Amino acid sequence: MHFDLNFPVTASGSTSQPKKNKNKQPQQSSSTAFTPAQIKGIEARLDLLEHCLFISRYDTLSLRFNQSVNKKIDPKTHVNILDELLKQLRARPGTVFLKRLTIVLDNDSEKGFGLANANASLVEPYDVIALLPTTSATFSLACLTHSLPSPLTAHIIALPLTLPRLPFQLKHTLVRTAIKNGAVFEINYAGAIGGESDASLSTFGVSDTGVSGKRNWWAAAREVVRVAKGKGIVVSGGVASEADYRGPKDIANLLTLLGLAQNLAHDASVAAPKSLILRAQARKTYRAVLSEPRLMIPEATQVVPPTQQTGGGENMRHNSIISEPSPDAASTNGRQEAGL
Amino acid sequence: MVRFKNRWLLVEFIDTSTADASAAKEPLSTRSLDGRLIYNALRDSVVTNFGDTGWGAVGMSLTVKYFSPTTNLCIIRVARDHHRIAWGAVTLLTGIHDVRVIPRVIHVSGTIKHAQLSAIAHNRDVIARFRTKLKNAALHHDSYDDYLARSTREIEALQD
Repeated sequence: MHFDLNFPVTASGSTSQPKKNKNKQPQQSSSTAFTPAQIKGIEARLDLLEHCLFISRYDTLSLRFNQSVNKKIDPKTHVNILDELLKQLRARPGTVFLKRLTIVLDNDSEKGFGLANANASLVEPYDVIALLPTTSATFSLACLTHSLPSPLTAHIIALPLTLPRLPFQLKHTLVRTAIKNGAVFEINYAGAIGGESDASLSTFGVSDTGVSGKRNWWAAAREVVRVAKGKGIVVSGGVASEADYRGPKDIANLLTLLGLAQNLAHDASVAAPKSLILRAQARKTYRAVLSEPRLMIPEATQVVPPTQQTGGGENMRHNSIISEPSPDAASTNGRQEAGL
Repeated sequence: MVRFKNRWLLVEFIDTSTADASAAKEPLSTRSLDGRLIYNALRDSVVTNFGDTGWGAVGMSLTVKYFSPTTNLCIIRVARDHHRIAWGAVTLLTGIHDVRVIPRVIHVSGTIKHAQLSAIAHNRDVIARFRTKLKNAALHHDSYDDYLARSTREIEALQD
């Protein structure tokens, strides 16, 4: 099963959300209806992804529609555009649509950017939350506080890979803590191809295109791979225009060129996103406990077996069942929920 | 012992100008491409992305063996040691001679035999998809069958 976690979607009406003043009424009427032309464009991109790139009878694809928000989520101005979109797209067999919210963090967001209990209802409908830190303080904030399991945890830490000289140093300890808590670091491959990245991102000042963008991408992505040692890495699209999509094996090859081993590169697009989605569903539970512990009562009344050995074997089997209900239950749970 | 090992890359160039529903007046199509243009584009891509050293590692052994304008299928042979550089250069291609394409590597193999088999299977896959889209299995047997036979012959005629 292949994943593309970053399928950027921008709302039609809103240009840039009002940045600082929370009390001002939003000036533009942010209409959430998508025009038919936009729908057609999105459907065409989906068609391309499905038929041309991921075709195989056994493969499914999971797409994460990404909505980016600047600086903070305001209950008054924040509009969930993805719900509308999902209703209007036709369902494709073999593709799962999910919703993701990206919050761009910069200097102004140090005080707090809305990922608090008060706004929990706003972030609830999204399946995955991502943070895009641009300063070292926000980076440490993202790694340490927001990767702990809770209803507000951020699952992905996306890094702006095309900015000149990644503005902060990726500290090994921070990264390790984040990965241990389960967060993953995201690499968008659109930067390598030099394509025009998401329009909303460039208005937020996070991306840079052209030759220097590509150079920075290679440097920064290599750095991410080195610091994370290949463990918590997820690769995703971030592709705004159609012509920049690439198939999963091609992307895995690009990752090997970054210094990642072949099996880890393959995992980055298949296994890591899968466990990420499972973990994202844990947001809805208390402290990321996914399993339902089952009570196993060992069958005491067994016909006495002819040899002692089989008796011991059965006991051991019961012990192993009791001690590991979680992976089974968690995986079946996850599979049921992910299958929707 | 010191055998020269190769990798055969099977690449499909997906045409984005026609994939786009709202085509421009004169969509530049991959019908106008041929092996030579692809080779030039690949060479430029390797030099831009991997520099002169990259081209040095890959250039001597890089050959475009086959290209079919109808299915946009291309077979490229590279030496095994640095084939990932060539593969990366293929992925990072955005266009060939002003035609925007999406390159997609379908199969990588060490022998020409399996590359041929994979190419033939891919052609059949594509034709099957055309036919299901048309939903008209009987009528179009002639044209597609003919094409399949022709391309199979061409592919099997490839030499090392």
